[in-house]
Amino acid sequence: MPESIISIQHLSKSFGSFLAVKDVSFQVFKGDVFGFLGPNGAGKSTSMRCMLSLIKADSGDIRLFDLPIHNHREDILRRTGSIVEKPDFYKYLTAYRNLDIFARISGTYSSKKEIYAMLDFVGLNGRENDKVGSFSHGMKQRLGIAQTLLHNPDLIVLDEPTTGLDPQGIIDIRNLILRLKEEHQKTILLSSHDLSEIEMIANRMVIINKGKSIVEGSVKELMSTENLFIRLEVEPQQKALEVLKNAFPEIQIQIKGENQLEFHLSRNQVPRISQLLNSHEIAVYSLESKRSLEDYFIKIVQQDAI
Amino acid sequence: MLFKSVYNEFIKIAAKPRSYLGIGAITLLVGVILFALKSDGLSILSFVTSSFEQTLSFEGNLLNGNLIAFIILQMLLVQIPLLVALVTGDLISGEFAMGTIRMVMTKPISRTTLLLSKFIAGAVYTACIIIWLGIMALVFGRIFFGTGDLIVLNTDGLVILQEHDVLWRYLSGFAVAFLALLTVASLSICLSCFSENSIGPIVATMSIIILFTIIGTLEVSVFDSIRPYLFTTHMASWRNFFEEPLPKTEIIKSVIILVAHILLFLGISIYTFNKKDISA
Repeated sequence: MPESIISIQHLSKSFGSFLAVKDVSFQVFKGDVFGFLGPNGAGKSTSMRCMLSLIKADSGDIRLFDLPIHNHREDILRRTGSIVEKPDFYKYLTAYRNLDIFARISGTYSSKKEIYAMLDFVGLNGRENDKVGSFSHGMKQRLGIAQTLLHNPDLIVLDEPTTGLDPQGIIDIRNLILRLKEEHQKTILLSSHDLSEIEMIANRMVIINKGKSIVEGSVKELMSTENLFIRLEVEPQQKALEVLKNAFPEIQIQIKGENQLEFHLSRNQVPRISQLLNSHEIAVYSLESKRSLEDYFIKIVQQDAI
Repeated sequence: MLFKSVYNEFIKIAAKPRSYLGIGAITLLVGVILFALKSDGLSILSFVTSSFEQTLSFEGNLLNGNLIAFIILQMLLVQIPLLVALVTGDLISGEFAMGTIRMVMTKPISRTTLLLSKFIAGAVYTACIIIWLGIMALVFGRIFFGTGDLIVLNTDGLVILQEHDVLWRYLSGFAVAFLALLTVASLSICLSCFSENSIGPIVATMSIIILFTIIGTLEVSVFDSIRPYLFTTHMASWRNFFEEPLPKTEIIKSVIILVAHILLFLGISIYTFNKKDISA
């Protein structure tokens, strides 16, 4: 059994009469990049705030590093780096000075050299002495990640770190997270709206909706049972259509433009497509399987709504 | 951790432009008062002394640095609370408004430690304001007007304090004035714990001071029982050091009431801040 880093059981939190989190449970193990998914208002940020003791949960059990947060807050936070919602800094201070301030209360000493090295690691070299007020959102995200890493934490909690970033910014942050996992062996809890990103980065995930967790497990396992969206470019189109209909009578195939077919198919049956078409001497010019997690996510959320 | 956090708070206060408003305002106001008194101070003084001239004869430099400092303190110690509240009222609520409180409170620092560090930093800032006021009033007053005996007009009549007997009274007066301003700082920090914007606590602090001052000055018997316990009643108790004989009991009572208010506001702040959900 791998070491449990985060264990949340039956968490609930309300603000007045509004029940923000009803029943959230999940577990993150050492070395996981754990995706925390849910539509807007599902209770992700509230759960994260409870987890980091920013707000007090009404009920439920929150343990990090096998310690309850309510009476081991400082021990836990010493081993945790986090950004909740968005990274906010003292705009009137420089990037260096901001990190210096956060390092001082992180429980470890960080020299000027170390802070500069961290700024370099997140791609902010040369901007050390610029005031944060002049930074773009992407630069603040990078600075936020630098802030989480200063005290070399075992666990990193990132709340929608790619929100509001341009495509290059998203790629940069994604690569940064992958480096943290691969080069620094960090355990990472990541919430994101970009579901395909979770699919690319995370190995395990939980989906929450309306304040409760719906499904939890390995991304691979959860995806393996799901239908993929397939787009084929084949010739001859009509023959391919007949072959596929005979082989998979349960699927609905749509003819799209010249030589194109579109349909949904179970992930484990995808390898059969090429074999089947080749054996009937049908030329396959392209086979594109589109992102599935989004479909899966929407389906799960819709099922929960019923 | 407390020391490190206090150091952080000093960095933040020193980097904020609004922190220099107080120093700038004092410099400007004292400069204006010094200029006005240098231009027309003697006629103001003769207006005060004219009613005593039939019974007393005045000799020497009456319009000296000691009197100038007294006049300046009397005029400015009413406005200084606003300058203090501008900075201290923002210490907690400003972190909420900027969102930095989320970042700070995900670090291994307890809420009580953070609040105490802000209180200490606020106290040091308040001390800086008082010290600067002292330097401007006493040092510059003496440079431009020289020294001499201090004539103070109070409700019981004229008090004349000899030149060598003045400095310790000013130092003690500044210490009590510091306590009064620290009470204002504690109040604004306390109100800051209830708010998530910077303006609210500053306005609320000034409103409370104005309200309590009105209650303290209104000659209405219904307020008689609470008037002695309002901190605003004791904000001008620095003047007691310029009485002869020295009203020791009054001074001690004022110090106790001011310290009690500081502890009360600090206690409420710690309790509130520890209970507060950080949902900013």
